[in-house]
Amino acid sequence: MSASQSAVRSRAEAVKVSRTFDWMILFTLFFVILGGYHIHYMLTGGDWDFWADWKDRRLWVTVAPIVSITFPAAVQACLWWRYRLPVGATICVLGLLLGEWINRYMNFWGWTYFPVNFCFPSNLMPGAILLDTILLLGGSMTLTAVVGGLAWGLVFYPGNWPIIAPLHVPVEYNGMMFTLADLQGYHYVRTGTPEYIRMVEKGTLRTFGKDVAPVSAFFSGFVSIIIYFLWHFFGKWFAKTDFISDEDL
Amino acid sequence: MAATTESVKADAAEAPLLNQKNLWLGLLLYLVFYSFIRWYEGVYAWSAGLDSFAPEFETYWMNMLYIELVAEVVLASALWGWLWKTRDRKVMSITPREELRRHFHHWVWLCMYGWAIYWGASYFTEQDGTWHQTIVRDTDFTPSHIIEFYLSYPIYIITGVSSFLYAKTRLPTYSEGLHLMYLVSVIGPFMILPNVGLNEWGHTFWFMEELFVAPLHYGFVFFGWAALAVMGVVNTEVMSIAKLIKKDLA
Repeated sequence: MSASQSAVRSRAEAVKVSRTFDWMILFTLFFVILGGYHIHYMLTGGDWDFWADWKDRRLWVTVAPIVSITFPAAVQACLWWRYRLPVGATICVLGLLLGEWINRYMNFWGWTYFPVNFCFPSNLMPGAILLDTILLLGGSMTLTAVVGGLAWGLVFYPGNWPIIAPLHVPVEYNGMMFTLADLQGYHYVRTGTPEYIRMVEKGTLRTFGKDVAPVSAFFSGFVSIIIYFLWHFFGKWFAKTDFISDEDL
Repeated sequence: MAATTESVKADAAEAPLLNQKNLWLGLLLYLVFYSFIRWYEGVYAWSAGLDSFAPEFETYWMNMLYIELVAEVVLASALWGWLWKTRDRKVMSITPREELRRHFHHWVWLCMYGWAIYWGASYFTEQDGTWHQTIVRDTDFTPSHIIEFYLSYPIYIITGVSSFLYAKTRLPTYSEGLHLMYLVSVIGPFMILPNVGLNEWGHTFWFMEELFVAPLHYGFVFFGWAALAVMGVVNTEVMSIAKLIKKDLA
């Protein structure tokens, strides 16, 4: 067999080989990205994501989009610019949500008995679909960063509103008024994050009452734009195919 | 006609390009093993894992830690040693078809790496979060740590390094030089294990609570980013495989 000969024996076999590799690559990429994204997200925004009583109108809305736009931006930088696949953000978020849901059900509930309506993960899908759609239609990193990044921050709270709204209704308990989510937290004591650690509704922003969530979302969108740019270039770096010589090690 | 018959016979005798049995058995092995581990946690974390000074903690958890540490060192030495010892010293002279077969085998390793990363970085790491909200911690070696740090992380490290060694010793693509992103995608997640030293030091001397977003945990985050380097490996593989199957058909 000469060096110019193919490793396959027919066009049909070439197609079959190519498709088989596609599945193996997708499997590996999905689970490695899932693992990296999940460990990143749980340790930068995790506490707001774990518990309903952390899911407030200010810090959850601010922090979660900022720390979660990272991997989608990086993976888009590889999948779109190399393969014209407009699914980078969606793959990341699907992986993250799969990992989170398995965990919340099997471990938060199945092992340590926190009810699922207290420890459900945040919904990032609307932002991911927007980010991929803007990239597909615009074909521009700058447009995706500015419009998509802003949309990523703005759509986070509305995207979670139907889920969280029933837990934000006020209740009175022992003469105090707080939300139903706060009441859940009051009953489900967590030894590792006592109340003095809980970071919700802090600062003067709450003085403005109804404006807290939109202002937080707008600020989050602004930072998400910057983070998108940064992580786009991280993604390009991680997608490199360079070799170094053995002596360099 | 005779030549055609010979070639058909050769095809029939030839090993398949992808040994699917290896792939499915490998994935199943991890699934069954980790299901057993999860069952063990469910039973013995509650009954014997709450008080590290109790004798049953020594029996069910510390002994498990000792066994897994020894088993991991033995397994890593044997597997990595075998991969290096049996390396192909004439890797540049293999046929394109053999090279393709090895790429498939390499991807079996990479699928296993992805699967192992999922269990370690996602399943058992977030699981640790909920265990810390449930007990009052009195040791670095909590049941969840004995599984997460000292079992699931070493398993993905052993799998990842094996995958790298397979590529380096058997594929022409990787024989000359070191693929930078392959190194990052294996060494980065590996560094999460030494970073446990920082984590335990910090929790022991500074910060007893388990706020997951505490800066003490950012070392894990930084090294977790290295998972993205798998994109560099994918890009290199796609180029190599495309070159192999796009050449003139015989």
